[in-house]
Amino acid sequence: MGDAATQQEVIKSRTASSGKDKQEIPFSSNAIRLSLREWAVTAVIVAVLFVWIPRGWQRIESFGPDPKSPRTTNVNHEESSYRIPYELGYDYWLYERYCNDEAAKDKIYVIGDSVIWGQYVRKGQTLPAFLNQLSGKARYANMGVDGSHPVALEGMIRYYSTAIKNKDVVLLLNPLWMSSLKADLQTTKEYRFNHPRLVPQFYPIIPCYAETPSKKISIALEHRIPLFNWSNHIQVAYFENSDIPTWSIEHPYANFLKNITLQIPDPDNKLLHEPMSWIERGLTAQNMEWVDLATSLQWNAFQRLVKVLRQRGNRLFVIVGPFNEYMLLENSRELYRQMKDDIAKWLRQQNITSYIPEPLPSELYADASHPGVEGYQRIAEDLFRQEAFPK
Amino acid sequence: MMFQSWLFLPFFLIFFLVYLLVQKTSARNLWLLISSYIFYGWWNPLFLILIGYATVVDYFLAWLMEKGEKRKLWLSLSIINDLGLLAFFKYAGFMTENINALLDRLGSSFSLDMPSILLPVGISFYIFKSVAYMIDCYRGTVTREKNFINYAAFVSFFPLLVAGPIERAANLLGQLRQRRTVAGQDVADGLSLFVVGLFKKVAIADLLSVYVDKVYGVPSEYEAPALMLATFAFAWQIYFDFSGYSDMARGIARMCGFKIMLNFNHPYLATGLRDFWARWHISLSTWFRDYLYIPLGGNRKGRFNTYINMFITMVVSGFWHGAAWTFVIWGALHGLGMGLTREMERSKFYQQKIPKFAKQMFIFVFVCFAWIFFRASTWDDARLIVGRIFTSGLADPKFPLYFLPLILSVWLYQFMYESRLQAILKVSAVRVGLVILMILYLSIFVSSGVQAFIYNQF
Repeated sequence: MGDAATQQEVIKSRTASSGKDKQEIPFSSNAIRLSLREWAVTAVIVAVLFVWIPRGWQRIESFGPDPKSPRTTNVNHEESSYRIPYELGYDYWLYERYCNDEAAKDKIYVIGDSVIWGQYVRKGQTLPAFLNQLSGKARYANMGVDGSHPVALEGMIRYYSTAIKNKDVVLLLNPLWMSSLKADLQTTKEYRFNHPRLVPQFYPIIPCYAETPSKKISIALEHRIPLFNWSNHIQVAYFENSDIPTWSIEHPYANFLKNITLQIPDPDNKLLHEPMSWIERGLTAQNMEWVDLATSLQWNAFQRLVKVLRQRGNRLFVIVGPFNEYMLLENSRELYRQMKDDIAKWLRQQNITSYIPEPLPSELYADASHPGVEGYQRIAEDLFRQEAFPK
Repeated sequence: MMFQSWLFLPFFLIFFLVYLLVQKTSARNLWLLISSYIFYGWWNPLFLILIGYATVVDYFLAWLMEKGEKRKLWLSLSIINDLGLLAFFKYAGFMTENINALLDRLGSSFSLDMPSILLPVGISFYIFKSVAYMIDCYRGTVTREKNFINYAAFVSFFPLLVAGPIERAANLLGQLRQRRTVAGQDVADGLSLFVVGLFKKVAIADLLSVYVDKVYGVPSEYEAPALMLATFAFAWQIYFDFSGYSDMARGIARMCGFKIMLNFNHPYLATGLRDFWARWHISLSTWFRDYLYIPLGGNRKGRFNTYINMFITMVVSGFWHGAAWTFVIWGALHGLGMGLTREMERSKFYQQKIPKFAKQMFIFVFVCFAWIFFRASTWDDARLIVGRIFTSGLADPKFPLYFLPLILSVWLYQFMYESRLQAILKVSAVRVGLVILMILYLSIFVSSGVQAFIYNQF
């Protein structure tokens, strides 16, 4: 190194590769080079497509209860018993579409988790379905989503339910989500809870939520960019919640386009679980920790959720429970009742009409928070007797 | 943080906004340095100690060299220091493993403890950049950078930090010394490069990796068709992965007004192995040419020495890629191939009589064969794959048909670009249309998971 011949060789080799003493650096090995104006045009077209593609998709994809399906009594059975198909619970684009569709029909939204959705009952045996029967028309929309705890529900309502404004809303608070630090998302050890894409990604901090910052940003953008949310819908609805490349590894010779049937399946009428009481199911009474409401992530999220709904001009009716107090040991039951009173007090202070159902007979509960068929029926009848209940 | 991760977006936006404010001031390079250290430290704050140390040592030794006395000594110390760092962090485990294997063969019960050393991301790249700078200073082809901030910004320039290109001081330092404002076209060009790079990496490379990882993960479970397809898929994966990264790196630099060297130029359209290496990882191949091959004597000492020098250069190049014998074998294969084909490629018969497409296919197949050794986890796996390609049955490879249109369309684009049909690709509507399609494809079809760049591990 360092000798003149070597130096000459180096300079010669560099010059030879460029043909000039001062090399002009080639732009690229392809022709894709846009001017500023072309980028501006691209940005406009992309922005339009980002909005238009999901909207256009709604026109070609059929979804929702068939308005021509047979009627039982005066009620269109399919419409009165409709609920989001279980396997599409993570399809928030579809949920938003459902919200928009129901808004046009001036429905009363019944919002909540699997207690509203109907974990242990068929689609015609849920709380909204019974309310529709009592009403004599398909007045109540089952907006329940399995596993949508209050922290997730806040995100669902905030980002994907903007159509719910100036409406009557029945909102269910399931106390089970405050029954332990884990259910309340307060444990520091990471664990996979339901609907992580709906929870606040940055603040308030959820100790057990350990997603990477990059993924959190991606999720936050998904909340705001229609195309991203729609893209997720395609994955959930047609590709088993997988992106197409990964799906194609499992189905190498399948034409992925054939999977896109443009037809969202109707919710089936199958039972997810055998209908039996909690005792028959083998569950026993237990001690539940019951978190302090002041520091409860779920309760604080519920409060924010109420605020969001009210800011949109909605008229709220809150149901707290039903909760299977028979599953609580004495100490735990006292704590629960105290918590229930605190919740009721807060609702009164907020002038929110609410209803805390009396405990059902023990055998009518399927587990800690879900009634069985008869339990739902009774609750529906009780609600319907309430004067303040929206009808 | 990687360029294709969402986290990079807020980082870059903040960096760029401040950069635009300070671009005409003396704070510009300081801001580049700070941002580069934040970028690098995000991987692991400990990495900053190493790059800081390497920067300070070389800056000081270059200063000593400039003084005129004992220049060779200072240069030697610099190279020993830089390559010593590389050897320690990258090759300590490999060396220990091989020493233990040798001791075992000799019947000794003694063995060294395997060191547990974290390999700093990008070390191979910035060390080579530093070594090139020091040698250029010694040769007088570059003047020493007196401003420490400028020099440190050169070493740590974040667009190039983790996987190159290994830019030369003459180009990058020269631009760091100038103060120029970012023009609108710089941003437009940078975006063009970035989007294309992102598409290559995320839409194609990451897609292919799913199949490649599946087959190369357990090669004994697959037969010839799957192994061959996985090998071809890897050839495309590594190309799109690395060239995609390079495009993104160049794009980001371009948005800041810096022009960085081209690193890939349609390597799979090469008509000879020399041509291949003039198109593949150009910054590294020219580095080895200028700082190893030519100092060894290049082609100035007769044919036999030329072949030896080529072979050594390629073996070292292979070793640079990774601390494993499979990389060495990969490099040796290329060295051997270049030696064997050198005369043939120079012959009139090869240049004029053999159809271009045939040459391209021949080189592509050879390169793919060599990739087997590059990609295989172990030497045993590599032998198994080669053996099974030629001897096993014809079981269904289950290669996703979904991949084919993507690969074929890109290949078609490359052919068109190097043909008379290039004019079609330059039409405005075609360029805009392609960019829109790429953006839409990325937004709709791509998983939001982030996969590392292959060359990050080097």
